[in-house]
Amino acid sequence: MVKNFVLALMLVAMTASPTLAKTIVFATDATWPPMEFVGPDKKITGLAVDLMEAAGKEAGFTPEFKAVAWDGIFAGLASGKYDAICSSVTITDERKAAMDFSTPYMQVKQALVIPKKSDAKCIENMKGKTLGAQISTTGHFAVKKSEGVKDKSYDEVGLAFEDLFNGRIDGVVCDDPVAKLYALKKDNYKDAMKIACIIPADDEMYGVAVKKGDKETLALINKGLEAVKKKGIEKEILTKWLGTAE
Amino acid sequence: MSNDNPIIRITDVSKYFDTVAALTHVSLDIGQGEKVVIIGPSGSGKSTLLRTINRLEDISTGRIVVDGFDLDDKTVDINKVRMEVGMVFQSFNLFPHKTVLQNLTLAPIKLKGMSEKEADVMARQLLDKVGILEKADVFPAKLSGGQQQRVAIARALAMSPKIMLFDEPTSALDPEMIGEVLDVMVKLAREGMTMVCVTHEMGFAREVADRIVFMDEGQILEIATPAQFYTNPQHPRTQKFLEQIL
Amino acid sequence: MKHQGKCAVEEPQIIIDVGDGAAIPKPSDKGLVSAWRLSFAGALLVLGYLLVFHPDPYLRIFKFIPDGILITFQVTVCSIALALVFGLITGLGRISRNKYVNLVASTYVEIVRGVPLLVQLFYIYYALGRIVHVPDLLAAVLSMSVCYGAYMGEVFRAGILAIPTGQTEAARSLGFSRTQTMYYVVLPQAWRTILPPVGNEFIALLKDTSLVSILGVADLLRRGREFASESFLYFETFTMVAVVYLIITLVLSKLVSIMEERLSHHVKR
Ligand SMILES: Nc1ncnc2c1ncn2[C@@H]1O[C@H](COP(=O)(O)OP(=O)(O)O)[C@@H](O)[C@H]1O
Ligand SMILES: [Mg+2]
Repeated sequence: MVKNFVLALMLVAMTASPTLAKTIVFATDATWPPMEFVGPDKKITGLAVDLMEAAGKEAGFTPEFKAVAWDGIFAGLASGKYDAICSSVTITDERKAAMDFSTPYMQVKQALVIPKKSDAKCIENMKGKTLGAQISTTGHFAVKKSEGVKDKSYDEVGLAFEDLFNGRIDGVVCDDPVAKLYALKKDNYKDAMKIACIIPADDEMYGVAVKKGDKETLALINKGLEAVKKKGIEKEILTKWLGTAE
Repeated sequence: MSNDNPIIRITDVSKYFDTVAALTHVSLDIGQGEKVVIIGPSGSGKSTLLRTINRLEDISTGRIVVDGFDLDDKTVDINKVRMEVGMVFQSFNLFPHKTVLQNLTLAPIKLKGMSEKEADVMARQLLDKVGILEKADVFPAKLSGGQQQRVAIARALAMSPKIMLFDEPTSALDPEMIGEVLDVMVKLAREGMTMVCVTHEMGFAREVADRIVFMDEGQILEIATPAQFYTNPQHPRTQKFLEQIL
Repeated sequence: MKHQGKCAVEEPQIIIDVGDGAAIPKPSDKGLVSAWRLSFAGALLVLGYLLVFHPDPYLRIFKFIPDGILITFQVTVCSIALALVFGLITGLGRISRNKYVNLVASTYVEIVRGVPLLVQLFYIYYALGRIVHVPDLLAAVLSMSVCYGAYMGEVFRAGILAIPTGQTEAARSLGFSRTQTMYYVVLPQAWRTILPPVGNEFIALLKDTSLVSILGVADLLRRGREFASESFLYFETFTMVAVVYLIITLVLSKLVSIMEERLSHHVKR
């Protein structure tokens, strides 16, 4: 009894611990290494996580990450299940109409990954082929935009790579950091796949999404991101996760 | 009747269901064209004995030869033997998903390669013989018990068997229907069919049987002509049994 | 006094109830306001209303999903056909006198029943992928059939066992082999007891095909999810998806009930 009571007290104390910093709950689809993914210790980790933690230190907020499936992630923001989305969200006009974005924190491109033995140069050589991508990512949109290419959408990009590895699809399109990780670093895959090309398109920017009109949260995040950039912490983080800083 | 060249030869047969002895050291020879009626109290092994003749029951020890085929011989195709041995059950067991006519034609068509036309003609003759031709195209469920049993006899006859086995064919019938079935059986007997009948119908036994076999507790206790059997039974247990049923 | 004669030939009235699908309409539900009619008319009305009065976004959604419906349909039909084959083999295996056949069939059923369908889908899809290169649609169909084959195997087994032994004995005494007896006498009768629960399995299977969307198979649900996550119209999209599933399911349940009626027709007294 007493033990339980003490435990309960401790719990209350912990959750209500008087860190003055505001907690911001970030939704993330942690299946997108190296940007955000679940590490061996079952904690959500990755480049984006480091970045938000650094930003939080600078601007005075505590980031808390919550794993959410990608295809419902925007709906959850709208219904107030969390404060922000930090999940390699590319800033697009359609998305800007539905939510507000922070200043961009990273620039990415769409990469096409194909089997090593394939001699296709880029997406224009993939007519009649099936390309996989994570559902409703910019990679998926790029596939759908290419004429004569069949698209196949997955809940997680990793499943697309496995299907590519097993020969069920002919290629995968995704953000270049992710493509590099899967196609160049993963044990089984690196001998079987290659990055064919970067699909020519306008540059893509990752931004943190907040609910439309949530100025307070947005200001905190922007403040943190700016400080991190100025102090060169951002470079450190990029180098840590991508090997290069550009 | 002469037993010089018996068509059924049962020699020292025992049959156990687990530890229950259903038959113990039973021997019986039945001649071509002979009519044998088996009588005995319930559970005495009559059905079991009958069912060993077409190997619906395997025997534990002993030997049974039917029309020259040793039933325990692995090279003997039991299905061939069964085609020569018709069987009529207490509960009719007509095929409910087939019409009366189809009940008769199914086996000859599938097993003897008879053409549908041939089988049809033959089946109608048999139905006429058992007095039920007008029900040829009806499903069995529409018939009375007596009618069903007559169809069942006709179905067995449709394979032109050399031997007919009857296991209490009238026991499941309302009294007013017993006569119609017995009439058919008498007719069959007159045509010279070899018949082994388990039945307690005394009139039938007196009129048709060449020999009556009395069984009790898995053994044959007495074999006699009907006249002897009913007027002058030898074994005390036969006497007791007859006292009970008369 | 001896009345059991008539009962002895009564067809088996075994009802094996395994329903988790839409109710299959019974002939007794013939009335104008049966649950089936109500749901079907309601679903059609809702669909019509949405398309006519709110073409934006419902017509857009409706135009986006047809290939998904086709895939759902294909997966369902192929899986049903294959699951029936697996089910029959399993059912026969489960009643086989051969110890090993029996053991294999029983183990298969045990394993399939003990693993969630979703996990099986992932497992078969990706495990199979490592061994042989099967296209995704076929892999999805195989996974569904392996699972439902086990369920149907149990239904087949129960249906076969429900046929009185007298039927088998009558057939065997005429000279039919074991296989012939099964084919000509037992199975045709077993169908009638088997069809209602198998029909339920059909419908459950149809609904469970939505799980293959997880494998990236572009079925109705996945098309809906794609549309929703791109347009942010979650409520509208899933309203549409649900209505379409409901209509398909109700049509299938009607088909099953028609089949049932056909099958039982000729033995009606
Ligand atoms: N399939 C069976 N399994 C176990 N015991 C059986 C089976 N069939 C018959 N018996 C037993 O064998 C004995 C003889 O039965 P049966 O031949 O049916 O007798 P009857 O036909 O004379 O009434 C009875 O003791 C019965 O309980
Ligand atoms: Mg008996």
